[in-house]
Amino acid sequence: MRVNRWTVTLLAAFVALLTIAPLLWMVSVSFMARGEASQFPPPLLPDSPTLDNYRMLFGTFGVGRFLANSVLVSTLATVLALLFTVPAGYAFATLRFKGRDATFRLLVAALVVPGQIGMLPLFLELKAMGLVNSYAGALVPWLAGIFGIFLVRQYCLSIPDEMLEAARIDGASEGQILRRVVLPILTPIIVTLALFVFLSSWNDFMWPLIILADQQLYTLPVALAAMSREHVQDNELMMAGAVITTLPVLILFLALQRFYLSGLLTGSVKG
Amino acid sequence: MAGLSIRGAQKSFGDTEVLKGVSIDVADGEFAVIVGPSGCGKSTLLRAVAGLEELTGGSITIGDRDVTALPPSDRGIAMVFQSYALYPHLTVYENMAFALKIAKAGKGAIDEAVRRAAAILNIEALLDRKPAALSGGQRQRVAIGRAIVRQPQIFLFDEPLSNLDADLRVRMRYEFASLHRQLGTTTLYVTHDQVEAMTLADRIIVLRDGLIEQVGTPRELYERPANIFVAQFLGTPRMNILSATVADGGQALLADGRRIALPPTALPLAAGAPISVGIRPEDIAIGDAPGALPYTVHFVERLGGLATVHLGGREGDEPVACQLRDDGSIAEGDRLAASFAPGHLHLFDAAGRAIGVRGG
Repeated sequence: MRVNRWTVTLLAAFVALLTIAPLLWMVSVSFMARGEASQFPPPLLPDSPTLDNYRMLFGTFGVGRFLANSVLVSTLATVLALLFTVPAGYAFATLRFKGRDATFRLLVAALVVPGQIGMLPLFLELKAMGLVNSYAGALVPWLAGIFGIFLVRQYCLSIPDEMLEAARIDGASEGQILRRVVLPILTPIIVTLALFVFLSSWNDFMWPLIILADQQLYTLPVALAAMSREHVQDNELMMAGAVITTLPVLILFLALQRFYLSGLLTGSVKG
Repeated sequence: MAGLSIRGAQKSFGDTEVLKGVSIDVADGEFAVIVGPSGCGKSTLLRAVAGLEELTGGSITIGDRDVTALPPSDRGIAMVFQSYALYPHLTVYENMAFALKIAKAGKGAIDEAVRRAAAILNIEALLDRKPAALSGGQRQRVAIGRAIVRQPQIFLFDEPLSNLDADLRVRMRYEFASLHRQLGTTTLYVTHDQVEAMTLADRIIVLRDGLIEQVGTPRELYERPANIFVAQFLGTPRMNILSATVADGGQALLADGRRIALPPTALPLAAGAPISVGIRPEDIAIGDAPGALPYTVHFVERLGGLATVHLGGREGDEPVACQLRDDGSIAEGDRLAASFAPGHLHLFDAAGRAIGVRGG
């Protein structure tokens, strides 16, 4: 069936508008004066735009610190996750070792267990190790995500063996093959995975809430939640907090778009 | 440069024996082609020479060095893969320079080697491109360039033309031949295509089920195949094989009851012995002659200048294909006389081995 191009474009624009409208309103409300958003009907744009909410967040509530905490935790989570996940996925895809497939099947099977179920046992384990109320404890779940290993493995499977063999004949060691041939080819998937881990750990609320007791260590979502308990009526303030939480990752996402959209493998084999 | 010697090469994958004791000698500067149907072990053998597969038994010597236990990079070989296996993130120049860079060669030396290889292959204009921006034939050239740059003692080619279209394949075949003449490097070339084998090889090694069927020059293999397999594997259309028994008076009794004269090599055979009589389609003469057999034309494949004519006799006769110059005069249903000159006949015993020809 041939669909009119305009119909498709209009439909896409409508859905996009539907998706982006709450986000735009969030930004708009964050510039409103106290109580302005609670009128009926709620205004679309601020009457007289103000930065008061942001001043209050950074000045009175010290959100700057939580922002820094979030950046630190998410960056560390991303770096550590890549450090463990990429080699693991590569190994599962290309190296032959005993029990490889059985181990991998077990890992994939574990994917169906919801993360929440593991939280209590994990908490108790970390408590025994003395890692509760530390960033080390907050980072543990991110170290070797099964989904990441799976993603890297699937992508590695598409790298033809002959290419690795060609590198071997060219005299490259296994380390050099990983560094000079595999990693450059894996760039799109590594960027995608990094983004994925960064976003998930940035937005993560549950685990930091459980593991971090000291308020000074709070990440943005946890800190905002704590704040909202007393300021639940301050829509404008909360929206400003939401903007601070959303904006950095949104920018990151858009900036890296060109990497995860590219397919670098084209042209290596067969015409 | 150096010769290559493979002694009793064996390779098993689990319970499957892929190579069952293969011995090959390739002289310095020789172009040897391993040919065989798929699954015959030819690629495994090549990969074993490259060091990508470990042999279960036997040894490989390059020049006077036993390389059986050496890693691929220390063997002095360069390999061109069927899929080209270019590095997609590197330019053509970087692809060709990769091995030398790994070996920590000087910048000047790398540049000289890459440019020389590029000049030989006529790809100087492509050096800044990435593989994705190249056509199939150009990729193939870059893959060869990558091999040349390393100045190997031995070139290994694994079905390098099978991903190209027919036209390009013919051209690249010609280029392989002239490249070999130019460089004079010992070459081991694997293909399943008998035409490539016939046109390129100084020597052909026919492999089947992990064993060598015959080794020889293309002419030798074509004119004196050691067995029915080799006889039918080389040459298109393939050799006609008729089952027969030896009769009196230097004749053979064909399965359909007709008689043909045999060559002198059949003399020692006892009357009544079962044999197979082979004749190449181009060796069948059409026209009335003493001893010619009547046939009916069943089907004509016209190739332009030549035609393959499929002949059948009466009910139960074995069909025979013959190749003729096509002047458009032969049509289906025509009746023809075909004669099999004794000098063109190939005789095989009941086990399929050639009678009067030494095997490989």
